[in-house]
Order: sequence, then C-alpha cells, then structure tokens
Amino acid sequence: MTAVIRNTWVLTALCLATVASGAVHANAYREKDKISKIANSSMTVTPPRDWNRLTIKPGKYAEVWTLDGEQLNDVTFYGGVEPGTPLLRERNKKRDPLPKFTTTTLLVEVPELLEGTYRAHKKIGSFTLTNTQPGQFLGRDGVHFTYDYTDQDDLPRKGEARAVLIDKKLYMVTFDAPRLHYFNRTLSDFRTLADAAKIAK
Amino acid sequence: MSGITRWIALWLCAIVLITNSGIAQERTAVKQGFELSANSGKKILLIRPKVSVGEQSTGGLFEPNADWTDKARKNLDAALFKKQGALGNTVLVSPEAYGDQALVSEEYTNLFGAVASAVVNYQFFVGNRLPTKKRDNKAGVFDWSLGEGVRNIPGAQGADYALFIYNKDAYGSTGRKLLQIAAALGPGLAVKSGEHLGYAGLVDLKTGELLWLNADAAMGGDVREIDGAEKRVGQLLEEFPGSVEAVEKAKQP
Amino acid sequence: MKKLITALIATVIASVPVSAAPKSKVVAAPTPPPYTGVYQPQGVDEIGLWREDDERERALTNSPLVIRDEALNAYVKSVLCKTVGSDRCNTVRLYILRVPLFNASMSPNGTMRVFSGLLLRTRSEAELGAVLGHEFGHFENRHTLQQFKSARSGTDLLSWAALLASMSGTRQSYQNFDSIRLSVYGGLARFERNQEREADLLGLGYLNNGPLRPHAASRVWRNLILEVEASSAARGLRKPNFNGVSFFASHPPDGERVNYLYALAAPDGEGRDDGTGRHEAALKPWITAFLDDQVSLNDFGASEFLINSLAESGWTADLWRARGDLFRARGNPRDLMNAADFYAKSVAMNSELAEAHRGLGLSLIKTGRQVEGRTALERYLQLQPTASDASMIAMTIASSEGK
Repeated sequence: MTAVIRNTWVLTALCLATVASGAVHANAYREKDKISKIANSSMTVTPPRDWNRLTIKPGKYAEVWTLDGEQLNDVTFYGGVEPGTPLLRERNKKRDPLPKFTTTTLLVEVPELLEGTYRAHKKIGSFTLTNTQPGQFLGRDGVHFTYDYTDQDDLPRKGEARAVLIDKKLYMVTFDAPRLHYFNRTLSDFRTLADAAKIAK
Repeated sequence: MSGITRWIALWLCAIVLITNSGIAQERTAVKQGFELSANSGKKILLIRPKVSVGEQSTGGLFEPNADWTDKARKNLDAALFKKQGALGNTVLVSPEAYGDQALVSEEYTNLFGAVASAVVNYQFFVGNRLPTKKRDNKAGVFDWSLGEGVRNIPGAQGADYALFIYNKDAYGSTGRKLLQIAAALGPGLAVKSGEHLGYAGLVDLKTGELLWLNADAAMGGDVREIDGAEKRVGQLLEEFPGSVEAVEKAKQP
Repeated sequence: MKKLITALIATVIASVPVSAAPKSKVVAAPTPPPYTGVYQPQGVDEIGLWREDDERERALTNSPLVIRDEALNAYVKSVLCKTVGSDRCNTVRLYILRVPLFNASMSPNGTMRVFSGLLLRTRSEAELGAVLGHEFGHFENRHTLQQFKSARSGTDLLSWAALLASMSGTRQSYQNFDSIRLSVYGGLARFERNQEREADLLGLGYLNNGPLRPHAASRVWRNLILEVEASSAARGLRKPNFNGVSFFASHPPDGERVNYLYALAAPDGEGRDDGTGRHEAALKPWITAFLDDQVSLNDFGASEFLINSLAESGWTADLWRARGDLFRARGNPRDLMNAADFYAKSVAMNSELAEAHRGLGLSLIKTGRQVEGRTALERYLQLQPTASDASMIAMTIASSEGK
C-alpha cells in the first residue's frame, strides 16, 4: 500500500524532471561495423547490424539497445558491475534496495541474481529460470541462461542472457522480448550482437 | 485499497501533458508495397474496439462516463458499419471467445498495444525517435508485425485482415477549460483541455504484418453524437487501404 | 537477528492486549444490516465506474497472473462465504493473483482480487476471513465511488496551485505548492481512514456473526506491524511510528487499529474455531512457491520474519531451505555460514530435497569448504540429473577441484 504511494512520488519526480528538462533527448545510433564502448567500461561491441541505444540508462553499469523499442526487444549490456552494487538503479537505496553482486557471487548464481533483481525491481511474482549452462562470453568461460516472466503489462516475455566474471567484475548481456513473435524474431540478431562483444585486455 | 493512488498517478501524468501538447499530431503509415483495391472481396475481422469516454476534471483526472461510452460505442459501431461500404470490403465482428481462446485474443490485444505505442514513440513522433526508425521514415519503410501466430486469434480463420481500434476521449470540464484560459493568459503555458486519442491498425492475418496504422493524439469529432462518431471513424480510417478516398488520392499525381 | 525479532515481539506484545479485553469504550461490532441483494449502479459517476470496472474485469479474467487452481480458488471463496454469509458472497467473482504483496481489494462491480502475498501472511481461516470481510465492507458501503468524488475535488485544487506556482516562479511559491500538495494528499488519506474504520466495523460485524473466531482480525494487523518493523530494522531505518497519524497512511494508525479491532470482536467469539488446520492443508500445495516469491523480493527483514512465523507450527525442510536461500542471497560472509547451517538442517529433515543440497554445496564452496561442497552438489545432481542448471553445476564442481 505504501509502496504504491512511494511510486507516486517517483512518478512525480519523473514528471517534474521531464518538465524541467523541457525536451526528451534523442536516442543514439549504433551503426553496423562501428565499434562502440559500453557504459564507460572496457567492454566494446562492434554491431553486425544497425541498432539503437536508448539515452535513458537503467543503471550505472547498464545500457539498453533495441531495434523496435524496449517493450518489443530489449538488449541490456552490463559493463563491469562492481562488487557491492546492484545491477539496476535502485528507486530508493534504503527503502527499496535491489540484490547486490558480491565478491562471493559464483557464476552459477548469476541467473539467481538477475531473477532477484527483476522480481524486486518489477515487483512480479512470476519468473522462471528455464535453462542454465556453461557458455562463452567475451571470449571466456561463462554462463548462458534462459528465463520466462510476465511483466506488469500482462505481456508474457522470454529472456536469454550471457555472463562472465572478469577481475571480480560482472559482465553480462540480456535479451528480453514478448514471447509472441518478438523473441524468436530478434533472437539471432541478439546472439550475433552478443558474439561481437569484446573486452580490452 | 489503493484506488485513490491510481487516480493521483493519473493526475500526475496529466501534469506532463501541460506544455507538451504541441508535439503529438496525426500520422498514418502503410507498409511499403501493400495495396488493397476496393471490392477485392477481402474480409476484415474487427477486433473488439477499446472505447472509453469520459470527462477531464480541472486536475486532469479521467472520469469515465458510461452513458457517453455507451453512446460512443453505439455511434462508432454504426459509423463503422456505415463506413464499410466506403472501405470497399466486408467487415466481420470478432466472436465472443472463452477460456484459452480468450487468452490468445487478450495476449494479441496487449501485443498490438505494445507495438502501436512503439510505433508512436519511436517512429512517428520527433524527439524520441530511434535512429534506425528515422532512417526507415526517410526510405518510406514501415515494417512492424505481430507475427504469424495471429492466425490463432479467434475468428481469424474466416478473415484476411484484422482491424484493431483503440479510442479514448476525455472531454474538458468547465473547470479545466477555465484553467486552460488562465494558463494561456498567465505564464503562457499550454494546458490541454480534453484528450482525444485514437489508434487504428490493420494486420494481415496470414503474416501478422502491420499493413497500416493511423495514430492520432488530437482527434476531432464528438463521438457522443452520431455526426461526430462518423467524423471520428472517418479520421481513424482516413486513407484506409482500399477505401474510396485512398483510391482517389492514389490517382492524383 | 533472532534476538532482535524476539525483542520486537516482546515490545509489541507489551502494548497489545492478547488475552485480556482492552479498557476501551469500543464495544463489539454490531450485526451488519440485512443484505439488500443485487445492487445496480445509479447516477452518471457510478454507472461509469462500473463500466470501466467491467472492462478491467474482462482483462483480468484473461490475465496470466491469475492462479487458476480450482481447489485453491474454491477454498478462498469458502472462507469469504463463511465470513460474510452465503447470500452476500454468492455474487462475488474472486481472482487470486500471483503477486507477492500483502493486498486484497474489491471493486464496485463485485470483483474481488486476492494477492498471493496475503495468503502467505494468514495462518488461519479466521485471519484470512478478517481481511476478506474488511474488503467486502468497503464494497457494501460503496467506498470507491465516494473516494472518486473526493479525489476529484482534491486534484482540481492541485492543478490551480501548480498554475499559481508557475506564474510567480519563485522558490517560495514552489514551496507553497509543495505544502498544498501535502495537505491535499493528507486530506485524501484522512478521508480513506474514516472509510477504513467503517469497513472494519462491518468486517468485524460479519465475523462476530459467523462461525470463525473474530479476534483473528487484530492478529493479522499485529503480525503486519511486526513484519514492517522487522523489514525496517533490517534496512537500518528508524522504527516506523505506528501510533502517530502519518500523512500518507491510508489506513488507521496501525498500533491503534490492533486494539480497536480486538475490542470490536464479540467476547463470546473467543472460544470459536480458527480453522488453522484447514487453512494449512488448503495452502500446502502453494505455500513454498509463495514463500519463494517473497524471498526473491530482497526484503530481508520481512522474509526472515515470515519464515519464522511459519515455523511457529514447526520447522520443515522447505522452511530451512528457504531461509538458507535468503541468507545466501544477501551473501555477507556470516550469512554464508548461517546459510550452510540452515541447508544442513533442511537435508537432515529431508535428504531427498535436491534444492537444499544445491544451496548447501554452493554455500560451502563460497566459504572455502570445497570438498564438502562438491559432495553436496554431486548429491544434487544425483537427485536431479535433469535439473535446468545441471551442466553448470557440473562445471562448478569441476572448477572447484583446482582450489
């Protein structure tokens, strides 16, 4: 009950911010074959096709790429999440904290971390990890996993992700889309994009 | 328990509309290469339109008015029925669905909503456009789809296309109109009095492709009146593929 | 943590009468008036609300969040019927939603929504009935319509204030706007509080008249207070003040409400059945799933409180496993030691519980006990060779061997 009221205040802040800034900033172009740095980290991506990067960043280490809008295909890169920090920006650090990535988080626990983050952030009750297995990301041994969930818009979505731990930091890329049509349609584009992600030595 | 906070949230969104009313205008798009000739004998499945009519209070709250909604639905249905001839094709009304069938229909309605809002936000209107969609605009490309699964929508078997219609009308109350005038005279803010939003989309029931979409955030026509509803349907279905107007427009050089 | 919770419980119990009737002027809630039967909306506002509500219900019936388990639905409906009587409950359409929050609501057209988070937090038919009866009370008094009319005049005022603030454009005027905003919201909240009291009165009236123990109502609120306090304490927040009239509390100040609800219960209802056993049996197929939803919300204090309260009727392997998950997710070194301990207790009670072996193995490996950790993970794979993460666990075992 109070959560709803708090959200109202978040909305107030958002509304005021929109009014104050006067205009919405343009989203950025991510052109085919042009190298692009992810969230000021040492991770880079050379996209095999044209993408868009949204101006609004969901977290300090995160940025969203999309083809048709985040409600239809959302690729989120997490570039070097530091131990002790959450994956996404917390609405309220004290009252509404998100789970933290820690120095002891194991690779096999990363899917659980994403699940906990989505459940807490989106306040949803339905999220299922459907498959978790070893796989490469950024040219190193990491984890590949898949999941299903239904967001507040009542549109069931599917997700696929890759993650790796390098120097105690988490690097990850996730792909979320409605299970109707959009997931299958964008899956191969997501995979070739994830393949194209590199990390500076 | 928390119904009141929902209204407060709605009000807050109305605040955003202050100063922003100049942006959104009408846009229509057709998939490249799509043509529908009049009297082609095609069947169009009309998915239960979302119709919602009410009043906008001074604070910008939407107050549903069932009497108006009822009238609007009846008027719009009648106007659609009347317009059918001009559409040049047969309109079928979607059957009442139950159980799993209803779930399919609902999920596609939600997907259409997500797609229509993505088109509006990211391709149609300046400011928030995605660069790739901006380029599509320049090349005359309009490429959106709900996927081939649309064949599973109840009623899809007997039809060629599905027509989705979404309508929301909030008429400004007297208080709201006074606020509008005071705001314009005072700080020169544009306060919106009333909101008249409409989407109409035609989807190919074989491929799921969005063939045509008309989005308008400032629609005309008072849907509570028969004439107004006809004007509205006319606007929503303006340049509807295969309609008399569209055919005539195409003939012009 | 345990000590802290015990201390919290002691504090609240000291202020809350549990066995003795409070010294208060409040008397037992009277029998509700006879049910007037099927109601039809009247006037433009109300007819409009119903229409919108019908549309929402259409969407709701098809929502993927709705739990369609017939047995569970029949059970919750039966508790509502026991509480408000069959003539009242027959017209209600009830939907159980998989949402891990304490909430239930009833809208003007007779749609009742029950969140799974409420089912997780009630321990008996009487407690569940108390909340459902309260919501039914709002419905019977048509509170949504009154709220709507009140919200309308409140926000009208806000709009004018926003305009005035922007006209002068000074810092001071924005501050004025802020205080107007507070008073408008405060006004709305106060309005809701009166409605809450009315609904409480009706809700307890139903309970007093039915077969269930009416005193359960105050217990639900007492437990909610304890949970909120535990949640705040674990987040390092100052203890919420339940007795002060907070601006934004849309319900009567909770501490006061516990006493008030207790006093509204008919004294002769004290000896009645709570339906604890039936409640537990009906929720058994779901309770672990609902608890896991809660544990994943990252609200450590509340989850720990709920696990402990479920354990009052005896610890189970699932409860120890859930507690292990909670501590492992927070992941401080001491949490990991505790987690390993909880998982060990879980597998001691049920050696077949694969998830507990998994959690045990991971916790042990994280605290440097590689050999024991590998053994536990191998046991997990034996029990669940086709687990969705089997190959990843196998890789975890292999990579821990070098250490």
